[in-house]
Amino acid sequence: MLKHFLIFLLALTGMLICIPSDWLPVNMRLQWADWFGADAYIEPPGSRATPIYSNQVICPEDLPGWRKAQVIEGVSIRATKACIPDNPFTIATAVMGSNRVSPDTLNKSGLTPDAIVKGRDLDGDGDPDEIHIRLEVIELNGGSPEMQEPTTQFSIAPGIKPGLWVFAPKTLGMATENFESNRARALLRLPAPVIRVEQGDTVKITLENTHYMPHTIHFHGVDHAFLDENGEGNDGVPVTSEQALMPGFARTYDLNPRHAGTMYYHCHVQPQVHIMMGLQGMFVVEENRPNNLVQTLNVGAGHVRVPSKSVSEKYHREYDLHYQDIDIDLSNLIQQNNDVRLITEQMHRQYNASQAISDFYTLNGQSFPYTFRESLIVASPNENIKLRVANGGSHGIALHTHGHKTTLTHNDGVPVPEGAQITRDVFWIATSQRADLDLNTNNDGLHSYGDGVWLLHDHEEKGITNNGIGPGGNIGAIVYESFMREDGWPLTFGNSYEQYFSAEYYQRQLPVWHSYSNGFFDEAGPDITHIARVVGYWFFLGLALIQFVYLVKRFGSKI
Amino acid sequence: MNTRHQNLQRISLLFIWMVNAGASAEQVNNHAHHGMHLDNTGMVMNNNMDKLPVECSAISEDHAFTVYANVEYAKSFAGNSFGMSQHHYQVEPCSRITVTFVNQDEVRHQWMVHGLPNYIYPGGMFHLEAAGGKSQTGTFIVPGSDTTYLVHCDMAQHMEKGMKGQLQVGAGDGQLWAIPGVTGSINRDRYSGNKGVNRAALVAALFLLAVLVIYGARLFKKS
Ligand SMILES: [Cu+2]
Ligand SMILES: [Cu+2]
Repeated sequence: MLKHFLIFLLALTGMLICIPSDWLPVNMRLQWADWFGADAYIEPPGSRATPIYSNQVICPEDLPGWRKAQVIEGVSIRATKACIPDNPFTIATAVMGSNRVSPDTLNKSGLTPDAIVKGRDLDGDGDPDEIHIRLEVIELNGGSPEMQEPTTQFSIAPGIKPGLWVFAPKTLGMATENFESNRARALLRLPAPVIRVEQGDTVKITLENTHYMPHTIHFHGVDHAFLDENGEGNDGVPVTSEQALMPGFARTYDLNPRHAGTMYYHCHVQPQVHIMMGLQGMFVVEENRPNNLVQTLNVGAGHVRVPSKSVSEKYHREYDLHYQDIDIDLSNLIQQNNDVRLITEQMHRQYNASQAISDFYTLNGQSFPYTFRESLIVASPNENIKLRVANGGSHGIALHTHGHKTTLTHNDGVPVPEGAQITRDVFWIATSQRADLDLNTNNDGLHSYGDGVWLLHDHEEKGITNNGIGPGGNIGAIVYESFMREDGWPLTFGNSYEQYFSAEYYQRQLPVWHSYSNGFFDEAGPDITHIARVVGYWFFLGLALIQFVYLVKRFGSKI
Repeated sequence: MNTRHQNLQRISLLFIWMVNAGASAEQVNNHAHHGMHLDNTGMVMNNNMDKLPVECSAISEDHAFTVYANVEYAKSFAGNSFGMSQHHYQVEPCSRITVTFVNQDEVRHQWMVHGLPNYIYPGGMFHLEAAGGKSQTGTFIVPGSDTTYLVHCDMAQHMEKGMKGQLQVGAGDGQLWAIPGVTGSINRDRYSGNKGVNRAALVAALFLLAVLVIYGARLFKKS
């Protein structure tokens, strides 16, 4: 009896010793401190060792010499500063037409002979006006009945591979890049290619549905008749225009755009799903000029290395900027099952677009830091640069230019009258709107503050994160030539980019300021003392209860 | 089986772009020499009528396959979208195989074999690509060992959604996963069923449980 009473007292004492002080009411602790002094110093837990993280080459070397200015098939292709430049043979083929280049150029372009067919010069002004483009539908980062990782991979940022659908140029051969990886070849990527034609062209666009779901194309803002010559639907909308195009089938759309401007195209089958999966691209109609061979496809958008005659009259450079966002809850669905009936049901019936929240924000198909590899706007002083901006995301974007105020010259392809043009540093671009901006680099304290590395980003702050981790999202930059390094990366004065090129950073595994804070902001380790006290408290509580029940029972039976 | 699958998966990714930007003139010549053919109807790559693999002293047999690509063939395998008429091919070692690939869809398709010896087939593959509505014919000679080769269309998701097969040479060396109508998948799809079926399954399970309880009770009673 006495033994059990002693154990009971001991357990109570243990409980009191173990109880974490922050569990007690503050007033009690203050009173206690008045009587006996403050608590003793307890050393906080140390910092965790920073995990070893993988990083990638920030700016790969340009081995084939694609960055430099060059003439291919008589096409003058401008130099580009981008870390990952576009294939100049694809550009030359896009300008000349896949039916009008040498077999060697066509091979190096990766396109099929009928990918971009250019025909007769209808208005006799020295350039072909019959344009026939073929597009396929490609799934990136899709699922598989046997592999444990996505197929035909395309990373929007380090380690981030959301399932995507894109329109792609018609390519020859395999979908993957080379024999060592299952990465998608360069022509198969987000966003869908920018299509460029001339005002008045007779344009045919054949959709070859190489994907396992039905799709269409709706040409948004591009002049087209509701019915084509054969009386068939030409607007891309299931029900009102035509039946959705089934897997394995092809359909040709006829366009004859009478007005120039920055337009848009997208799939119109279950748009709340298909547009958000990536089936959307920019469509640019250039003003008609003599001998105006335009770059019919700009794969991956960005720098236009063969600008049209009309743009070259007024502008020193031209950039296509396509903004999108991705809801991972939608895009992951294609990775979970292989049966197309299950995928269809989950995407179009189980998934609820009205409750969607976007996780990733892209500029030209990539999120920071990859945006810096391909989509920097390189400038020199005293230039006018044409920015064609399209927002294909589910949210508006508040596009902010550091160090510059740009002027809005066109809304949805329609010119804004000279006197009514607005100059400002944040432009709101709603979903599916296009804005043509004139970036003037004259250092006058209004249009430009001079040379530098000036960010260009969405000021809706979630847009500059990768699933909430910053910096990420659609961050781009206006970089003056004097601030460009030889390798294509901007000359910067802040912290290293290294950790942003690791998948672990965006998987929330690295302390954000680790690379330059000398350990001040490393991740704190576990509070072992606290854990031990909590465990001890519950142990002694249990022990005390057992003894208490035992004593009560014994005591009760004695009476 | 698992390792085998992974090896073949890796092999399926083996690919040297036929005349890519980095290829040397010599490689280009090699390709031309190896029966490269390309036009509006598609292409034939690494066509080989007469070069014998080292293990073969002569061609053992001549085989001719006509394979159709058509979404209609997907109907035989629920949950697929793309199809081909044949998924399993059986030949003797050192056979010479002529494939006529008839594409009845309106989009392009491929009939490719991977894992062939590099010294005859650059990139280890034999590749037919037929434009929509076109056909391609090509010939290749298989080596002398018992091996199972992957046959597929490499367009994104076409293999996954129906266009996969296997070429078994001799006794082969195992089967590949997820060949429609031949082998199963590693990653199992999650079918949700419907209310009626789920309820029936629950009733059946309860009934079986009752049977077990009754049986158990009787057993204990006896002892
Ligand atoms: Cu669609
Ligand atoms: Cu196919």
